Amino acid sequence: MIEAHQLTKRYGDKTAVHTLSFTIAPGTVTGFLGPNGAGKSTTMRLIMGLDRPTSGTVTVNGKPYGQHRSPLREVGALLDAKAVHPGRSARSHLRTMAATHNIKTSRVSEVIEMTGLAGAATKRVGGFSLGMSQRLGIAAALLGDPRTLILDEPVNGLDPEGVQWVRQLVRDLAAEGRTVFLSSHLMSEMSQTADQLLVIGRGHIIAAGSVQQVIDSVASGAVRVRSPRAGELAAALATDGVTITSPEAGMLEVSGTTAEHVGEVAFRCGLPLYELSPRRASLEEAYMNLTQDAVEYRSEPTTARSTPAQKGQKGQNR
Amino acid sequence: MSTLTAGPPMTSPAAAQVQPTFAGVMRGEWIKLLSLRSTWWALASTAAVITLVALAAAMSLSAMADDPALAPGIEQMHGAEIIAGGFHFGMLTIAVLGALLITGEYATGMIRSTFAAVPSRIPVLGAKALVLVVLTAAVTFVSVTLSYFVTMPQLSQYDLVPALDDPGTWRVFGGTLYSLIAAALFSLGIGTLLRSTAASVTVALTVLLLLPGTLSFIRLDWVETIVSYLPLPASSALLTTGAAETQGAYLSTQASLIVMAAYAVVPLAAAAVTLHRRDA
Repeated sequence: MIEAHQLTKRYGDKTAVHTLSFTIAPGTVTGFLGPNGAGKSTTMRLIMGLDRPTSGTVTVNGKPYGQHRSPLREVGALLDAKAVHPGRSARSHLRTMAATHNIKTSRVSEVIEMTGLAGAATKRVGGFSLGMSQRLGIAAALLGDPRTLILDEPVNGLDPEGVQWVRQLVRDLAAEGRTVFLSSHLMSEMSQTADQLLVIGRGHIIAAGSVQQVIDSVASGAVRVRSPRAGELAAALATDGVTITSPEAGMLEVSGTTAEHVGEVAFRCGLPLYELSPRRASLEEAYMNLTQDAVEYRSEPTTARSTPAQKGQKGQNR
Repeated sequence: MSTLTAGPPMTSPAAAQVQPTFAGVMRGEWIKLLSLRSTWWALASTAAVITLVALAAAMSLSAMADDPALAPGIEQMHGAEIIAGGFHFGMLTIAVLGALLITGEYATGMIRSTFAAVPSRIPVLGAKALVLVVLTAAVTFVSVTLSYFVTMPQLSQYDLVPALDDPGTWRVFGGTLYSLIAAALFSLGIGTLLRSTAASVTVALTVLLLLPGTLSFIRLDWVETIVSYLPLPASSALLTTGAAETQGAYLSTQASLIVMAAYAVVPLAAAAVTLHRRDA
């Protein structure tokens, strides 16, 4: 269980997260979505007590992280897979963390086995691929057998087999009643892994709820209609809250209503229909819709030469 | 591998005792330090440099003896001072090690794993300080022992092998140990405050080694006073048998002990205060 209340963090005059309030329930996988720079990692650092909030509070399992008697048993975190001394072996890295909590060495071996690192455990971490580092980060997060897991982009750099593994792992951990909070900017990944979603952009929460709720809240789903008398149908459908566009002659995209309603209207008016198909919005579309105003680092159309103005803007974003 | 899940939960009776203790944090720091090659390099080079400089100093005795102007000076010398003559160079590597102990964690991001495991943070600094003291003591012991034996052939020619029942001998060896520990802790404190390896090593080495030499050209009273309080001149009273102690510019033994302790404690205390407040 993670509870944030009016959580705000400013770095200088830049507000990284702004009055976030949310609850992450145990027994679920909650996906934390947002474009780059939205404040995901900052939020996770605040939860872990690594950064101090400018205002507001955040607790894990009822207490601020730092006040738990056994922090690693409460929360296991993977914040940055590369945040390991490159000169140390994977096993030594895990042993340093285990030692602080008097966790047995047998547990270190256990998590090494679990994460598939057995073959590389004595090699220096500096030579690890990103995928291997992610596995080590997950091993470190699992070390204390924690009730809550916080994973920042855990599938980044993993091969398909590894992605599959992480997906199964977090589902199993949640099924055991643990709280799993993982961030990603990959929608497709989230739609297959998460039960709940928390979407942020520019430090604000822009949507929260179950995956389906979030999709429904944004894109109610358009209806595609083809009719030889499309113009008349459009006139008949035009009421408050209904948006109609015509991508090509004889075709309408109707949003803000249901396929059933369109069919009934057409029947009443005696208009023939060649096609009537509801289009479900994908999580991808919902996400794009949600975050289009909240993208911190937007890619400009590539031109041969960047103008000074663009350079200036980029510098400002930093 | 792909079918593995969270695995068996830790249900051993010991699970209840799985929580941070200072001994655990100490052990963690110990593993951290000894699992890095750079530690072994720093320690080995400290011992090597101290021993080689002592050997060079001992070998130069014969050149001194041949020079009629310098020959009488040999009688004034104490063998322990020659054995500890490489102390400055030892300070260099020990200071780098002390700074790296913490700046290495900031540079790699390891510090976030460290503070996630020990959110109260201060025990980490305390454990690092203790581990550093133990390691410095060990390397000083090894260095002095090595120096003692490699210089013996030369020193014995001039009857300068320090007697182990001579309090002067232990005063010099003890002073060497005390000063090296102070230098190591000073660097650790500076490293924790500045976080960057380059900045910390620069500041630590400037204060510890560079300033006394560069400022010695300035003949202003107040500058000379400041210089006498810098670590190297301040520790000099601790590195002699006491006979040359009355040479004005240097501090008394007691003052030296206090000044060197301040170099160790003040930056560490400041670091402890800021450590808790700053974002990791």
